[in-house]
Amino acid sequence: MTNSIADIIEADVIMVIGSNADTSHPTIGLRIHQAKKNGSKLLVIDPRRTGFADEADLWLRPNPGSDVALLNGMVHVILEEGIWDKTFVEERTENFEELEIVTAKYTPDYVEKITGIAEAQLRAAARLYASPGKKCAIFYGMGLAHHATGTDNVKSVANLAMLCGKLGVAGGGVNPLRGQNNVQGACDMGALFNTLPGYAGLNNDDVFDRYEKIWEVKLPRRKGKAATEVWDAILEGDIKGIYVFGEDPVLADPNAHHAVAALEKLDFLIVQDIFLTDTAKMADIVFPAACYAEKDGTFTCTERRVQRVRKAVEPPGEAKADWQIFCELSHRMGYDMPYTHPEEIFNEVTQLMPQYAGITYERIEKVGLQWPVPTQDHPGTPVLHIGRFTQGKGLFIPEDYTPPTEMPDAEYPLMLTTIREIPQYNFGSMTRKTPEIEALCPEPFAEINHEDAVRLGIDDLDTIEVSSRRGTVQLRAKISDRSQLGTIAIPYHFAEVPVNNLTLNSLDRLSRSPQYKICAIKATKVEA
Amino acid sequence: MTTVTLTINGAEIVAEAGLTILEVARRSDIIIPTLCHVQGKPTGNPCQMCMVEIEGQEDLILSCVSPAQEGMVITSDSDRIAAHRLERLAILAETHFGDCKAPCNLTCPGQINVQGYIAHVAKGQYEEALRLVMERNPLPFSVGRVCPRFCETRCRRILVDEPVSINHLKRFVADWCMSHEIDLEIPKDAPTGKRIAVIGGGPAGLTAAHFLTRKGHDVTIFESSPMLGGALRYGFLEYRIPRDVLNYEINTILRLGVSVKLSQKWGKDFTLQSLKDQGYDAIFIATGTGVDIPLEIPGAVNPHTYSAMKYLRRMAEGKAPDMGKRAAVIGGNNIAMEVARTLIRQGVAEVTVIYPRSRVEMPAHQRNIREADKEGAQFLLMASPVTIADSVEQGSRLKLELIRMKLGEPDAKGVRQPEPMPGSSNILQVDSIVSSLGQRAVSDTFSGGELEKTIALSPNKTIDANVRSSQININGVFAGGDAVSGPRSVIQAVVSARRAADNIHAYVMGVPKEEGESRFNFTRGKGFDDVDLKNFDGINVKLREKMPTRPPEICSQDFDEVKLGFSEKMALHEAERCLSCGCTAYDRCDLKELAINHNLNINKTGMGTTPVYARDYSHPAIIVDKNKCIFCGRCERACEYDALELGADSFDDKGRPVGLILGFNDKCVSCGKCVDSCSTGALNKKAQTIPLHTEPVTEVRSTCPYCGAGCQIILRVKGKTIIEVTADPEQAPNYGALCVKGRFGHEFIQHKERLTKPLIRKNGMLVETSWDEALDYTAKKLFDLKAMYGPDSIAGFSCARATNEENFLMQKFMRTSIGTNNIDHCARL
Repeated sequence: MTNSIADIIEADVIMVIGSNADTSHPTIGLRIHQAKKNGSKLLVIDPRRTGFADEADLWLRPNPGSDVALLNGMVHVILEEGIWDKTFVEERTENFEELEIVTAKYTPDYVEKITGIAEAQLRAAARLYASPGKKCAIFYGMGLAHHATGTDNVKSVANLAMLCGKLGVAGGGVNPLRGQNNVQGACDMGALFNTLPGYAGLNNDDVFDRYEKIWEVKLPRRKGKAATEVWDAILEGDIKGIYVFGEDPVLADPNAHHAVAALEKLDFLIVQDIFLTDTAKMADIVFPAACYAEKDGTFTCTERRVQRVRKAVEPPGEAKADWQIFCELSHRMGYDMPYTHPEEIFNEVTQLMPQYAGITYERIEKVGLQWPVPTQDHPGTPVLHIGRFTQGKGLFIPEDYTPPTEMPDAEYPLMLTTIREIPQYNFGSMTRKTPEIEALCPEPFAEINHEDAVRLGIDDLDTIEVSSRRGTVQLRAKISDRSQLGTIAIPYHFAEVPVNNLTLNSLDRLSRSPQYKICAIKATKVEA
Repeated sequence: MTTVTLTINGAEIVAEAGLTILEVARRSDIIIPTLCHVQGKPTGNPCQMCMVEIEGQEDLILSCVSPAQEGMVITSDSDRIAAHRLERLAILAETHFGDCKAPCNLTCPGQINVQGYIAHVAKGQYEEALRLVMERNPLPFSVGRVCPRFCETRCRRILVDEPVSINHLKRFVADWCMSHEIDLEIPKDAPTGKRIAVIGGGPAGLTAAHFLTRKGHDVTIFESSPMLGGALRYGFLEYRIPRDVLNYEINTILRLGVSVKLSQKWGKDFTLQSLKDQGYDAIFIATGTGVDIPLEIPGAVNPHTYSAMKYLRRMAEGKAPDMGKRAAVIGGNNIAMEVARTLIRQGVAEVTVIYPRSRVEMPAHQRNIREADKEGAQFLLMASPVTIADSVEQGSRLKLELIRMKLGEPDAKGVRQPEPMPGSSNILQVDSIVSSLGQRAVSDTFSGGELEKTIALSPNKTIDANVRSSQININGVFAGGDAVSGPRSVIQAVVSARRAADNIHAYVMGVPKEEGESRFNFTRGKGFDDVDLKNFDGINVKLREKMPTRPPEICSQDFDEVKLGFSEKMALHEAERCLSCGCTAYDRCDLKELAINHNLNINKTGMGTTPVYARDYSHPAIIVDKNKCIFCGRCERACEYDALELGADSFDDKGRPVGLILGFNDKCVSCGKCVDSCSTGALNKKAQTIPLHTEPVTEVRSTCPYCGAGCQIILRVKGKTIIEVTADPEQAPNYGALCVKGRFGHEFIQHKERLTKPLIRKNGMLVETSWDEALDYTAKKLFDLKAMYGPDSIAGFSCARATNEENFLMQKFMRTSIGTNNIDHCARL
């Protein structure tokens, strides 16, 4: 997030696109509802009728996967109507001309053809967001990112925000809602194939020299493989061994059958986890790990706030904290990591990463700090890009609309989108062990639009079979107008309904994110 | 910032302008009580607890809504205010209906949190259950086997079917922890440098040693016998407390770091003076009642007549005397029953217990009498020994002459004392006699030193110690257990010694004794007759688990344990029978705390007596007990989703709701904030079944492990178990808000499916292995892959759930140890 959870309440307009924070980030969803109640205007762009859509001042329900066209259309209207922030664009951005050129063809007519959104709605949305002089915040979630065009979507959102000058002000900003407790931190820490810690690119030799000096080792400077690319690399024989730390790709990865086939081909699979996950069951070695309540450390949340995690209880049996396992294994591999406490590791992080340089455990003892915190007397950064962008000028990177990789056809006439339920989390390995949560949400339902249900002869609570080119699942149907005509929504928390057997491992060309949110499916009633 | 200057309770305070008086007070750490306050959300129906006096204003005013103004002179602690609060509290208490503590807890002499450990058992948390018992009773193995079970006599389940088998559950958790080799890792305070001598290594001595060691003192037990245990070893034989169990129990205490000196006879090997000279800061006498009251009839001194303690001790030491084929036991106390049962096991064919009154009047517990009876002991009642002589008959050694008794006229107290029936002589031919007429601490006076002689004694020849201070008439010397009380149950010795330990701690440290727990208690009825049977509507009959017991005709043939203990399944089943009478909001109830602080006497002013409302279990995560609701409205105003429906059909003349409505509408997202905001136990988390009394609870601040919102949570930890998760309303970024996962979804932490050992694949199967093997094997395989295919043949997936430090190390490991940039995580998934 460029901004903070606390300044949601200050927004004049809140645009939510591709996020159902009510289920994915409930305490943030709550603040958005409270802001709405407090007078903020709410603009929702979502194919699914979410709780936000119910409350919205304006709800756009575009065809799935048409976000780039819609956002470009909004830019087009804003330019046409002359309601962009000219000062901001002039002083703080570059490549504006390119934006004008690329979006020129996204006339309301053209956009309506792709998105299904009528001109009046498009114009209303553009005007509402652009509202000159108002503070407008954009929130987006995986509904925007989990597409083969995910980075295009995100860039288009950034273009819109820069054009309207909505950055660098409390109550504004571009605010991605990160799905997992420390996905922000894992990125910050450089657990990425294309950057070192602190987003230092692999092409930056100075940074490498510095790391090599501090770590006293020669580092590889060639690019690595993204997690989503690893499976093909295994099947092609390039990758022989995998170290899986706290993930369950057998359930989590798109087109899970593909991942399983790859895991079976591996020479050596290490899994480090708190439970014997489906992936761990295939491992050659399983390291038992401590969970968050059994170790010290820090998480960095979606608003870039670095906060403490503290040991409350002992790990079960011989389980060890993950950092201890890495230290011991590394020692045996001939590279010493002689840390005795996570704080020592953190101090190394702050030494290497400018964004964290001013943070110490002592400073975040009570309240976390939002990076960047360049020095020990810096108060942290609740709002990014005030006055100037971190990288200097904001660069417009307009993109053209590309249709989703797999669209419905005669054989697979429906679209599948994956969703979350509020009580459950991810694949349920944690939440499903709490009886109250199971009582609240014991099974997944395929949410299907009334018209589709009638056409397919499906009644409420019928068991249906949902198939894609990659697999099949069975579950009960729930008839709901939350689902758009032609789309079935299925929560992905339930191992007994492994919905990622259906999804498509079509990846974004830059981020390598998979297109979880769209694939072509068919649905039939299972006769009892 | 504009400020105002005002005075509260005489202290001048400069505060930010625009705050209420209550806020100003809170920020200055001045406590003004309130039951209804929710920051930023005033109520139209104030509890009035926060009322204060303002100089120049006649009426009391509400500090929660009145702005702090320049120059105000405020008083929050006057008698007038206290009286007003007391009046308000009395009104609220009058309709508050429930039990603060469960009757079992209140009846237990040890004040053990019985409901708490049963709830732990029901959750399968046996280790935590035992740790909770050990907070107050370090002898759960023995007490779990021999306790008279005062608690079970008051169990409310009696009003439904049968009491919960509480004591068997205690024994179960102790035995389970022993067989699973659990180290409870009981925490100890930092060393104080104080040395304490404990004379006697029986139940009281061991208990005192346990608690004093936990307080950080250096304790030495002086025991006259070659082994510790006292009455546990020499009063109960193996069939009651197996030796391996007893030794384990004693070792658990000693492992804390207690020194022991065995075969040290008081008065011979050491004296009180010698201990003082050695620098002990305090001495605790816990020598029990090892002296039998002698049988004083003609002929009582002969080689075949024993006193009970002497006989049992010889049996315990494996030096069984020859008792012949027929034996008489004189006396009807618990020890007499142990003697009879031991004689039977020894092989004595006929064992006759002789007692001058009827069976129901025997001082032994009826349960013990029944056991002896079942095993074949005979009872000659209404009879008293007169003389003992050598037998002249073939095949018996002694001739015991008895006189029959009858009950006389009631005496002044209305008790009918037995009187001999003149001329009613009976002769019993026996081979041996054991008398058990009661025990005392000492036969005459203590001896062996000058100080010993001065020890003040009671008429019953027990040590005269002050009930409150545990001190005897010698400075720095304390006493407890049976040596003071005379023969009592083990749990009573434990309690006496625990109190003494508190007193000794206060004495040696020169600090005031910790205040005892308040006896303040709301109750649904003191006696069974006071309890409205409506309380049990909807509770089905479910009879107690039967303790697996060896049949008497078999178990009486040997010294093996008679009662075999519950299986895990039985224990779980039995624990589920608990009605959970006590309030699980005990530790957070503001009504109770304010009532105690203001000395409200609810026994006079009144409390609810009948359940007006049925408990509502319909919410998936929350139980609603409207009988406890004081209509403070905090739940409704704390709820950020407008999900609570709170109202009433009407209000009575004191403003209390009649026909209370408290429920959830469909906006409820089960976030549980209402429960954490409740001022009493009207709202409770279904999963939080452990009432927390004085047990230490640690609050650990952390970050929620679910989504990326970064909500701050508080993990409440008791022992080694997370009891519940809450949030701090003052803390960014979530300010007390959590979702259902954040507040409830933490059961996975202590789930039985957690991985506890490294696994390695062998012959196609994943099997448990050591860390060394797992790590060595992994390092070798990674080396081999690197050597054969290069570092880029290995890839790592990091974890967006793990900490920054760990993600940093994972990528560092891949980049340094392996030498590849094939490192990524599920940011995209």
